[in-house]
Amino acid sequence: MNNSQSLNFIIGITALLVCVASTFISGRSQKFRHLRWPLVALSLLFLYNLIFKPTFFALEITDDGYLYGSLIDILNHSSKIALLATGMTLVIATGGVDISVGSIMAISGAVAATVIVSPYSSLILAVVLALLVSTFAGLWNGILVAACGIQPMVATLVLMVAGRGIAQLITDGTIITFHHPAFNAIGNGHLLGLPVPAWLAATIFLIALALTRTTSLGLFIETVGNNRTAARYAGIAARKIVWITYVFSGFCAGIAGLVVCSNIKCADANHAGLYLELDAILATVIGGTSMTGGRFYLSGSILGAILIQALSTVMYANDVNPAVIAVPKAILVIAVCLLQSDRFRSRIMALPVFRKFGGEPC
Amino acid sequence: MKKYLSLLILPLLLLVSCKKAAEGEGSKTITVGFSQIGAESDWRKASTLSIKEEAKKRGIELKFSDAQQKQENQLKAIRAFIAQGVDVIALAPVVTTGWDDVLKEARAANIPVILIDRRVDVSEDGLYACYIGADCTEEGRKAGRWLIENVGKQAGIAELVGTVGSGPAVERKKGFEEAIKGEPGLKIIKSQSGDFTRSQGKEVMEQFLKSPERDQINVLYAHNDDMALGAIQAIEEAGKKPGKDIVIISCDGVKEIFRQILAGKANCTVECNPMVGPYLFDVVETYMRGETIPPRVIPHEDVFDAKNITQEVIDGRSY
Amino acid sequence: MLKRLRFPIRYVPFAATVAVFIVAYAIGAISFKNFFTLRVFVNLFHDNAYLGIAAVGTGIVILSGGIDLSVGAVIAFTGMLVAKLTACGINTGLAILIALAVGILFGILQSTLIASFDLPPFLVTLGGMFLARGGSFIINEEALSILKNPVLDFIEDNLQLSLGNGVYLECIEVVYLIVLLCGIVFTQWTPLGRRIYAIGVNEQSALLMGVPVARTKIMAYGIAGFCSALAGIVFTVYLKSGNPLNCIGLEMDAIAAVVIGGILLTGGVGYLLGSLFGVLTLGLIQVLIMFQGNINSWWTRIIIGILVLLFIFMQNLITKLSDKKQ
Repeated sequence: MNNSQSLNFIIGITALLVCVASTFISGRSQKFRHLRWPLVALSLLFLYNLIFKPTFFALEITDDGYLYGSLIDILNHSSKIALLATGMTLVIATGGVDISVGSIMAISGAVAATVIVSPYSSLILAVVLALLVSTFAGLWNGILVAACGIQPMVATLVLMVAGRGIAQLITDGTIITFHHPAFNAIGNGHLLGLPVPAWLAATIFLIALALTRTTSLGLFIETVGNNRTAARYAGIAARKIVWITYVFSGFCAGIAGLVVCSNIKCADANHAGLYLELDAILATVIGGTSMTGGRFYLSGSILGAILIQALSTVMYANDVNPAVIAVPKAILVIAVCLLQSDRFRSRIMALPVFRKFGGEPC
Repeated sequence: MKKYLSLLILPLLLLVSCKKAAEGEGSKTITVGFSQIGAESDWRKASTLSIKEEAKKRGIELKFSDAQQKQENQLKAIRAFIAQGVDVIALAPVVTTGWDDVLKEARAANIPVILIDRRVDVSEDGLYACYIGADCTEEGRKAGRWLIENVGKQAGIAELVGTVGSGPAVERKKGFEEAIKGEPGLKIIKSQSGDFTRSQGKEVMEQFLKSPERDQINVLYAHNDDMALGAIQAIEEAGKKPGKDIVIISCDGVKEIFRQILAGKANCTVECNPMVGPYLFDVVETYMRGETIPPRVIPHEDVFDAKNITQEVIDGRSY
Repeated sequence: MLKRLRFPIRYVPFAATVAVFIVAYAIGAISFKNFFTLRVFVNLFHDNAYLGIAAVGTGIVILSGGIDLSVGAVIAFTGMLVAKLTACGINTGLAILIALAVGILFGILQSTLIASFDLPPFLVTLGGMFLARGGSFIINEEALSILKNPVLDFIEDNLQLSLGNGVYLECIEVVYLIVLLCGIVFTQWTPLGRRIYAIGVNEQSALLMGVPVARTKIMAYGIAGFCSALAGIVFTVYLKSGNPLNCIGLEMDAIAAVVIGGILLTGGVGYLLGSLFGVLTLGLIQVLIMFQGNINSWWTRIIIGILVLLFIFMQNLITKLSDKKQ
């Protein structure tokens, strides 16, 4: 075993140990209980690679001084799902859902690219305009849901269908390719050795966390999600809370759109963020947030996003036949789902095999 | 309630008003119904534009319908064209299977169907009148031949497959494998789907370049230019030189890949000509004059590499 | 006297959909040549039969307070299954029965997970969607034709009713109408059907009233699985082929059709008959755009979005308006 191989092994074991340790810690603490099962799944993924594909853990430091390796790719590519999931978590917490985020990403990318290739090319103008437009798209969703009382899934379906058309209208149906070093840094740059998208996702996550956990906003959102009428009687401006969450979701989707567009240095209105709304919802629910509204866990959603991306990166790294790639994803969804269910765990624990060990009740 | 209904009527009227204006010109014009797959790439857009502009130039009324990648929408469109009584139907089929019934319906209504881009599997001959377009298997073969002639007989190949199960992906893979079959030194060591998009192409290439076999990869074969463009970025980010350390071969021939070839970052693209408008309407006019139409029209297609690409070639291309 | 004649409020969203549909149809008839013909009307049923059947299943699941995202993938899967089985030399009738059984089993499996472990239906059926889609790719990566098949040819050549002018009423639209009718009778006039409404309105109180919630749920998804599989078979008859890429995103169309038809996504409110008009409305929007024939790709998307929005708005307004009057 040469030097680099043992290094890979050490990194792999460290990653695995971190995962396993946090699984145990989260299992013990009341506050992070919801993180346990996604962490178990992530540990299993890492364990598999440690045994069969240790090169998966290869990390190098490039000449430019940043980290390079599959683990960093997971961090990099999961950030777009994490951004969407942050917004999605708050929307789902109010009892809604936003299936237009993929299309909003396409619009945001289209706006930014159009500005970049125009004579008024400027990083700040592109970013500000793209975020304004996507926030406005979120506002539109919010108005349909909160003010017009249309069911969230149908209200956001409108923008899901039309939004991609709007994005194509902006780009005139072509893929706009651009070369703008400052703008490219959003999706490709590195800060302190880590990719910029990961920093962006972390920032948005921390902002959302601060807003919901240090102010009463989070409590209001949960109350609205639990029982809208009761929330209104309690003096909470339920409508306002609902549309604020959609605006925030639109804003997050806008940033995710910028990240994707800058990462591939072009705006592809047709494919940017296609079906990513499903991944975002998946990440949210894997993280322990209930689809019916009420309780929400932002940290869980981030972990869910990382788990989803880790799964596809692992599949690419292990040369899984592209035709069957959907199947492991299905198994992951259902397995995490089952593990999250109290009823399933209590039934499993009631099995004779586990009783013998005096299995700790979950 | 009436007041609100008028809210609905207004946009619908707007929708139909432009149609009304077009109908006023007289009824002798030829009407062609065209069912396009979608608008998923620059290539597709060029194909749509070519047909639309040619129709306008020749004074032919074109009924255009975008199927958004769904066969069911194309079937609906063809049935709607039959109901409208168009003279000729042009179809760019999204898949090769499943056209029997609707083509029989068109035949029963005496409307000839002209296929574009892709042939279809049908149970009997004569269900379509003419097929205009290249064949993706041949494009795959051309790519393979270029590789043998220009790179040699020893190479580790990474392949970026198109959307799993789609016609071009299957055929371009098949053709390429046929061409390199006789050369034991040419091996496909990595193959994964990049879904025909730049972002997926880049993401998959990143993983290829981190695999234990990464040092053996010295050729990339991408089923379309967009995936190749994404992969070029991934190769550069990995600190390698696209076009030199890894030879890049792709299909379609869009402008951006020409720029990359000129800059030395890509090596070869097998053209798949989307400008079928003139060919299509030549056939349509032949048919309307009552003459027999050719069963097969092959548009002109080239293989482009650094030898025949210049700035003038790039400027001369519309897509 | 007049008060008695007043339209019952619970029919209002449904009536609004019908009214909006008729108005849109009339506009098409006035504006386009050859629009107001029997062919266009029959095509509307023929081209959307598979969506309609899927919408019946989706409707029942939504009435029970759930959601089913696996519809489109199950359609693709059954299509591939029938195509592969017939290609292996198995009798077509048997292949169809096997596919139907697999569909029902799939639905029951999903609902068992949902009902017995209290899992969110959105997630379970999303997993089901990935599984069925992956499964159809595993059967075969490429599309498979079912050409020169005696059973399918018999269905096509003999099971049709000429309506004159080369217009035929074919097997698949009749199947759709029968399924729809069965669905309506089942949900409106059978005790089992009423249970679906009961758990859709409020699961807790239904449980307290003695409704077997888990069993009812399993039944609802089982029916939905059957409908998806049947839609898959109808789609196979319609296309004479199976394609693993078929019907991506069809679940959204089915949900939209059901909701446009006046069924609330929260469950327990609405009528299955509404789904018929939801399906026809979505079909009509497409036909209008095709007859117009001069709209480019991106405007097609935008206009579909705007029209869906308008339909929902109209329905909302009419419903609110009559709320106020009552």
